[in-house]
Order: sequence, then structure tokens, then C-alpha cells
Amino acid sequence: MKFARLFACLGLIASAAVAAAAPSAQAILAASDAIRNPDKPFALTVTLVEYRNAKQVDGNTLTVYSKADANSGQFRSLIRFVAPARDANKLMLKNGNDLWFFDPSSKASIRLSPQQRLLGQAANGDVVTVNLAKDYQAQLAAEESVLDGDRQSRRCYKLALAAITPEVTYHHIEMWLDASNSRPVKARFYTESGQLLKTAYYRRYQAQLGVERPTETVIIDGLDTNWVTVMRFTDYAWREVPEVWLQRDYLPRFKPE
Amino acid sequence: MRILLLLLLAVTAPALAGDEDEAALLLADKTEATAEQSRDWRVFVEAAAREARRQGAGPALHGTRLSLDARFDKTFAPGWRAVFADRLDVNRMDADAGNRDVNTLKEAYLSWQPQPDRVADLGRINVRNGVAVGYNPTDYFRAGALRSVVSLEPASLRENRLGSAMLRGQTLWNGGSLTALYSPKLADQPSDGPFSADPGATNRRARWLLALGEKLSDTLNPQWLLSGGEGQSPQLGLNLTALPNDATVAYFEWSGGTADSLAAQASLRPGDAAFRSRLSTGLTYTTPHNLSLTLEYHYNGAALDETGWNALRRGPPSDYVQYRAFVADLQDPPTRDQLFLYAFWQDALVKRLDLTAMVRYDALDHSRLQWLEARYHWARVDIALQTQLNTGQRLSNYGVLSERRMWQALVRYFF
Repeated sequence: MKFARLFACLGLIASAAVAAAAPSAQAILAASDAIRNPDKPFALTVTLVEYRNAKQVDGNTLTVYSKADANSGQFRSLIRFVAPARDANKLMLKNGNDLWFFDPSSKASIRLSPQQRLLGQAANGDVVTVNLAKDYQAQLAAEESVLDGDRQSRRCYKLALAAITPEVTYHHIEMWLDASNSRPVKARFYTESGQLLKTAYYRRYQAQLGVERPTETVIIDGLDTNWVTVMRFTDYAWREVPEVWLQRDYLPRFKPE
Repeated sequence: MRILLLLLLAVTAPALAGDEDEAALLLADKTEATAEQSRDWRVFVEAAAREARRQGAGPALHGTRLSLDARFDKTFAPGWRAVFADRLDVNRMDADAGNRDVNTLKEAYLSWQPQPDRVADLGRINVRNGVAVGYNPTDYFRAGALRSVVSLEPASLRENRLGSAMLRGQTLWNGGSLTALYSPKLADQPSDGPFSADPGATNRRARWLLALGEKLSDTLNPQWLLSGGEGQSPQLGLNLTALPNDATVAYFEWSGGTADSLAAQASLRPGDAAFRSRLSTGLTYTTPHNLSLTLEYHYNGAALDETGWNALRRGPPSDYVQYRAFVADLQDPPTRDQLFLYAFWQDALVKRLDLTAMVRYDALDHSRLQWLEARYHWARVDIALQTQLNTGQRLSNYGVLSERRMWQALVRYFF
């Protein structure tokens, strides 16, 4: 009993110290969003390599055109499939919960449910182009050292993110951000029942569009840890994304230079 | 003892998680991911072999097919785009079925987009409207579009068909668009020529279409259509989709207007113009295990009802053949009520294996068409095994199909 009380007191003291020294959790999260996501419309190429039991089982290349919504702050994206050849030039539109898939061969625009989208590789885009500070309430859980994606010990703020809207993909998230510069280091994404869905490591920081940004995310499936996806980001560019692009009826028209 | 176990778990769990993360990061360290460049074209060849058993007794029928499918889509100057899509099917069948080579010029058009919200197109265009899967009443340009049927799977029927020659204009705004098109008459009759562009199949009469799409909310995205042409009254169409929950898409596709019944249009009855509706509505539910299930109801108010259908089946065979051929050309159901079930299981049991199943059920004569495909794919190669079973009474919707059971194996290579 004595020990329990002592630990409780130590815990309180520690968390109070963290709270006093640290900036607002929400501000840190917003700063981290700005590192992952450019603040103006942009395009980039995403290369995904998927492993099962350490063996490569799939590879995809996508081009993403993204623009933040002026009201919600969330990104709306047009995703063009580049490779493999069977999927070349197929498109996906994500505008909130308005999700459409377009196949230029059959001219079919098919509406997708959020669950259908989650099954594809595009779902991993959520780990990248999403403004977490808009949809999650952040609390500072701890300040601790963790191993980053390069297996270096890094002093981090650990944030506990709780969804403030029911539409989000992940009910809650644990996120570790570099205490010195708010760079995302690692995150764990959970369901409402507490099931771990994904672990993500953000690494290979390079100067892209004026900011040091992670150019690789390593995603480990929560249910099957032998399922690993490596996402590389290249060809960052500022790119005008007109509002008329971000609708179903523009999908047959979409043909970027 | 229990506390000891809990303590052990508490100590070992982080270490295990760390090992798994370390293994994943090591894989990432070794990954040599190079982004592939986008291409303006997609070309594949497909070789298929099939065996079919007829209704009743008789020997099996064998056939082979070699197909070349090419699609080219290039921006050749700022605001200018050229699209070309073509497919060649070379069929070799048992003696009584004969050989048949068919080229399908699917699309060939120029597109001019002087600004992001204004577009004009001229040429042969595959215009396809409709949110349903198995039957699209608002797909007004489906009539006469099938020149070579290699599979009854809905995606194949949509992809391997002729576009119609037309002039099309579109204006777009935030969350909506208005499209107007005119498709003129270019020929009187379809052509059997293997390499014919076949304007007579798709442009036998002048037609027009207006389409208005407007997003009302994240969950409601309707499209209104008005279609008309020589020898027909304008038909109104509506496409509506909604998200009842995160795993379900519900949709409603309707077309209605004054028209003769299909029997009258096939010259089996005198003109009987009345307001008639066509409807396709259903939902797609996706399970957490990659399985998407679609259930649809199809209603064709211009087709024969149960009394008319039974009378046709008992009547002169020539009338039956005439009606079925006319309706098949329109890609319309021949009877009033149908049910359609479609299941797609991505990465079924093993990664890269996709299973697709389809059942079409005629609610009037209880005949069924069942289709199943297993497809495994690598980066450039697909292999697939398909089977189809048609069951039903004599001269029923699906029982009449000459092949009762069909097997087909195919391999597809993407360049």
C-alpha cells in the first residue's frame, strides 16, 4: 500500500513536471502535421513495397494530388495508380467520406465505402496525408526516449490522440514526436476496442518543399506483424489542384501533365 | 502464481514488440523501391481455352481465343488530348461453331479543355452512366455496343464494347457538372466485317443526352439525366448513392418515360406507348475480411410480365427468337423482375488470389446464370479459371442458353 501511494505520488510529480515544461499538446501535433503535409496544394509519388513474412509480395506506385479543404482543414486527394501495369491510370478520389474509384477502361465510377477503401493500399495514405490536429484531441502522455526508425534513441513527447469526430479511420492514436523539433517519429493506430491496427515509423528526413520531411514511412500491421509496408515519397512538387478536380464527374477528365 | 505470470508478460511484451519492429525496419533498410514512371498506354494479350457442354446430351465444344487489347491516352499539346482504345479477338472454335475474328474499335476521340472547367470531345466515346453493377437503366448508349462477348461478367461487358460517335461538351463547377452530347445517325445497319469500325451498331439513329450532377453532401451525390432521340420520347434518369454506414454503399438507378413495350418495339405487338420505368437498386456491403457483397433488384417495366413471357415461350419459335435477339442487342432484361448477386473477395485465403462469384436469377421463370472466377496475379501476369452454369426450364431466360456448363482458363500478360 505504501509503495502504491509512493508510485502514485511520483507519477503525479512526473506528469506535472512534463505539463509545466512542455508546450501545448495540440500545438505540437499541429506542428508535426505541418512537417508531414505541405501547407499548399501539392503532388508527390508514393512507392509502396509490401512484405509478408519478410518476402516481398506486392509493389505499387501511386501519384497523389492533394489539397486541404478551406473549412475542415482536411486533405482531399486524387490518387492515380501508376504501377503495376494492370492498374495503370486508374483513379481514386477521396473527399471526406465521398470516395470514388474510376477505371478508364470501363469508364465506371464506383462509389466506395470507407471500409472498402481500407482494404486497399490507398488506406495507408491516411497515415501520411491527414491533418491529425483537426480530428483529434491531443494530450501529453509522457516525455520519454524511444528508438526511432534508425534505431537511435530520441527524446520524444508521447501524445495520446482521441478522435473528436466519428468519421475518422482510427479511434485513438499514440504518437511520439521529437521533443526538439516536433518531427513525427513513431505512431500506433487503434480501433475503438483498443485493437492495434498499425504501427508507423517516420524516417529518412530530407528537405522537401522547404521543410525537412519524412520521405519514408514503415507500416507494421497490428494484427499480423509479419505484414510490413514500406512507403517512399518522391517527386514532391507544388501543384495547383483546382476545386473542380475534386469530384466524381471530373474523374474521366483527370489527365495531369 | 498468477501475479508472477502477469509480471512475466509485462516484462516480455515490450521486448517482443521491439523485435518485430526491428525486423520490419531491417526489411525497410534493404528495400530498393524505385518509382515507376506513368505511361500513356496500357496493352495486354490474353490467351484463353474453353470447353462447353450443351443443354441436354452431346459432345463437349472446344474453343481457343487470342486477344490483343490496347488503350492509349495522351496529352499532345496544352489542353489537347487524344484517346484510342481497341481490342482484337481471334476465336478458333469446333467446326460447327466456326472461327470468328472480331476487332472492336472501342474509342477514338479528341478532347479539348481550354480551361479546367470547360471540355469538349469529338469522336467515338464510350459514355457510360449508372451506379448499379448488374444492370444500368441509365446507360443509354449500351444498345448495339457489344460486338464481341468474351465474358458475361459485368465489368467485361462494360469494358469490351463500342463507344458511340458524338460531340460532347461539359462544364464543371465545385461539386457538380453539366454534360450535353449529340450522337448523329451515321449508318443504317450493323456490320459483320471483322475489322469494321461498325458505326451502324452504335449510330443507327440520332440521339442526345443531358446529364446534371450535383453533390448535396458527403453522403448524397445525385445525378439527373435526360435522354432522347429519333423515334423515342425523352427519358428521365436518376442515379443516387448513399452511405448508410461505413461498410455499406446503397444505390438507386432509375429511368422512366413514355415508350412502347419491348415486344412492340420488336414488332411482335402493335404500338402500346405508355409511361414505363426501369430500375436497378441495391447495396454493397464490405466485410472486414476483404469480401464485398452486392445484392441488386432489377425491374424492367418495358419487358414482358409473367403472362406475356409464358405466352411467348408457348408461341411460335420465330417470335421467341426475334424478341430475344432484339432485347439482347439493347442489353435489357427480357423479363420484368430479376435478382443479381455479386461477390468479390480480394486476397482470398492467399495474397494475390481474387475470387468473384455472380448469380443472375429470373424471378419470373426461376432460371439462373451462375458464374465463378478464381484469378491469381503477379506484377505483369494474370491467370484465371472461370466457370459458368446456366440452369432453368426449356425456353426460360437462362435455360435457353445453348451452353449449360462452360469452363474457361486464361492467361493475360501486361506489357
